[in-house]
Amino acid sequence: METILSQVKLPLKRSLQIAVQGIRIRLGRSLVTISGVALGIAFLMSNVSAQFIKAAIGKERELRQTVKLMETVVRSEVGDFAGKSLSVAVFGTLSGAERSLLERLAAAQLAALKLYGLNVPGAAPAALKGIGQDSHALLVLGNARKCPVALEHLADGLKQKVVIDSLSNRVFPAFVRQGRATALDPGSAAEDQVRREVFFSKATDEQIAKLSHAAEQDRFRTIWIVVISILVTVIGVSNALLMSVTERFREIGTMKCLGALSSFIRRLFLIESALIGFCGSVLGILAGGLLPVIVFGISFDFRSVLLQMNFGLLLASAAGTLVAGTLFAIGAAIYPANIAAGMVPASALRSNI
Amino acid sequence: MDNNSLTALFGDDSTAQKSGYVIRAVEVCKVFALGEHETHALRGATLDVRRGEYISIMGPSGSGKTTLFNMIGGLNKPTSGKVYIDQVDIAQLDPYELAWLRCRKVGYVFQSFNLIQVMSCIENVMLPMAFAGLSSEDAHDKARDILALVGLGDRALHKPAEMSGGQQQRVAIARALANSPDIILADEPTGNLDLKTGEEIIELFARLRDQLGVTIITATHDLKMLKRSDRIVWIEDGRITRVTTPDEMKIKIEEIH
Repeated sequence: METILSQVKLPLKRSLQIAVQGIRIRLGRSLVTISGVALGIAFLMSNVSAQFIKAAIGKERELRQTVKLMETVVRSEVGDFAGKSLSVAVFGTLSGAERSLLERLAAAQLAALKLYGLNVPGAAPAALKGIGQDSHALLVLGNARKCPVALEHLADGLKQKVVIDSLSNRVFPAFVRQGRATALDPGSAAEDQVRREVFFSKATDEQIAKLSHAAEQDRFRTIWIVVISILVTVIGVSNALLMSVTERFREIGTMKCLGALSSFIRRLFLIESALIGFCGSVLGILAGGLLPVIVFGISFDFRSVLLQMNFGLLLASAAGTLVAGTLFAIGAAIYPANIAAGMVPASALRSNI
Repeated sequence: MDNNSLTALFGDDSTAQKSGYVIRAVEVCKVFALGEHETHALRGATLDVRRGEYISIMGPSGSGKTTLFNMIGGLNKPTSGKVYIDQVDIAQLDPYELAWLRCRKVGYVFQSFNLIQVMSCIENVMLPMAFAGLSSEDAHDKARDILALVGLGDRALHKPAEMSGGQQQRVAIARALANSPDIILADEPTGNLDLKTGEEIIELFARLRDQLGVTIITATHDLKMLKRSDRIVWIEDGRITRVTTPDEMKIKIEEIH
């Protein structure tokens, strides 16, 4: 007998073809298996998605609180809005909270709301002077403070001499002296007080403890759901492949008689399982990722949830779930694949399945 | 197909003619342990098969016929005794070498054809070539030639389900020939076929033996097959009781009109 020169490995492409064929001829069951994987992964993904939505809602709630706070400050400084007019100077870009504030002000019963975008470089100083003319207050918003004109000049002609700057603790000396300047800065002592009064005044220590207890329960539930969904996936795939092995006793035996290596048979099942895992994961991620968004969106507010979602991170975790789902499916296939690979060719042929 | 192209296809057999025995089974015993029971399927069977022989193994079911058959084909290892295929003791081969042996030295033909249903004829024939590491193009050409040899040149792209039993068995024989084996093992190859197609298969085997010099070993109850074979091995209760030629037996086959 000639010596065996090199171990002949079937090209991966061929194994892939045979595995795909295997899925195709057992399409019905493959679909059931895929939906099993999809279910498990959807479970997992909906959980992930829900976490992101919760975070987004939390952010949105915080934003609304900030806006409310800003409005409260504006109201307290300007007084009753009826018949009042406001000037708004915008430097740079608006934050989400500032935009919302402007929307609320626009909806309020103001006599006039005059908006000035001052982020135009090289704008003529003369044009900027006196934008507060005939207004009751000047709001300074945006993330930049570069102005060719001294800020106080913007306030020339204000009826109430109220300048409210949303950024930092900048207080204009002239107005401080008059006692009318207000810094609208999240984090300042004044704001802290308002926040406490508005949101935490009623929360006792007991309630706070209860809240943290609820959070812990929530975390436990999350882990539980993750574990269950992984088990569903792994056991489902493993079961389907075991059935596939018994059903294919004859085919596997024939291939072994024809000289297929055990490693080839093993690879066949692993590839098949990986494909099933991949397809199921994609479906599961789509279903589990989108459904919560839709449900939360309808019950809460689509726009604000979508605006506040961290989509980059969500996509990254979806990709992670995809990899994990595929790996779980491959892991589930190890046992059935070993059974198939370890089959004695003669015994495979004798079975009458 | 003329003899020259066959030689090109299957290599020169002149070297093979030199070594006398292609299979030697010496005192082969096989014990299957079923729970606490021990079943002695073979109790010391000794058999030599010359190269190019056409041998039929006869015996009632449960006689150890299939076990001997599997042993000769390298599908199973004996509990005791030796089986040599081409002077190689198969008990000493590791699983990888056994796969190699099954791939290139032995071709199997099964009673129920065992074609892979989802593959076309030519893909079925190409499968063992893929296991042997042949490139796709070479395998395709060779598979076409072999299909033509068994008379199915025009059916290469059909699926097994679209073919008759006799045609499927021809595909199975073509598949067994894929890697130019020394031995073809056929387990009741005519068992699932009607008389006429069975006869065609028997003729095909005889022709392959004559043209290619392959050794053909069949387990069969088919009288026509027995009549065509060089030797008939009778096996009973795990032992080979006698080895005869068809002439020594009185096989008379009546024509059915």
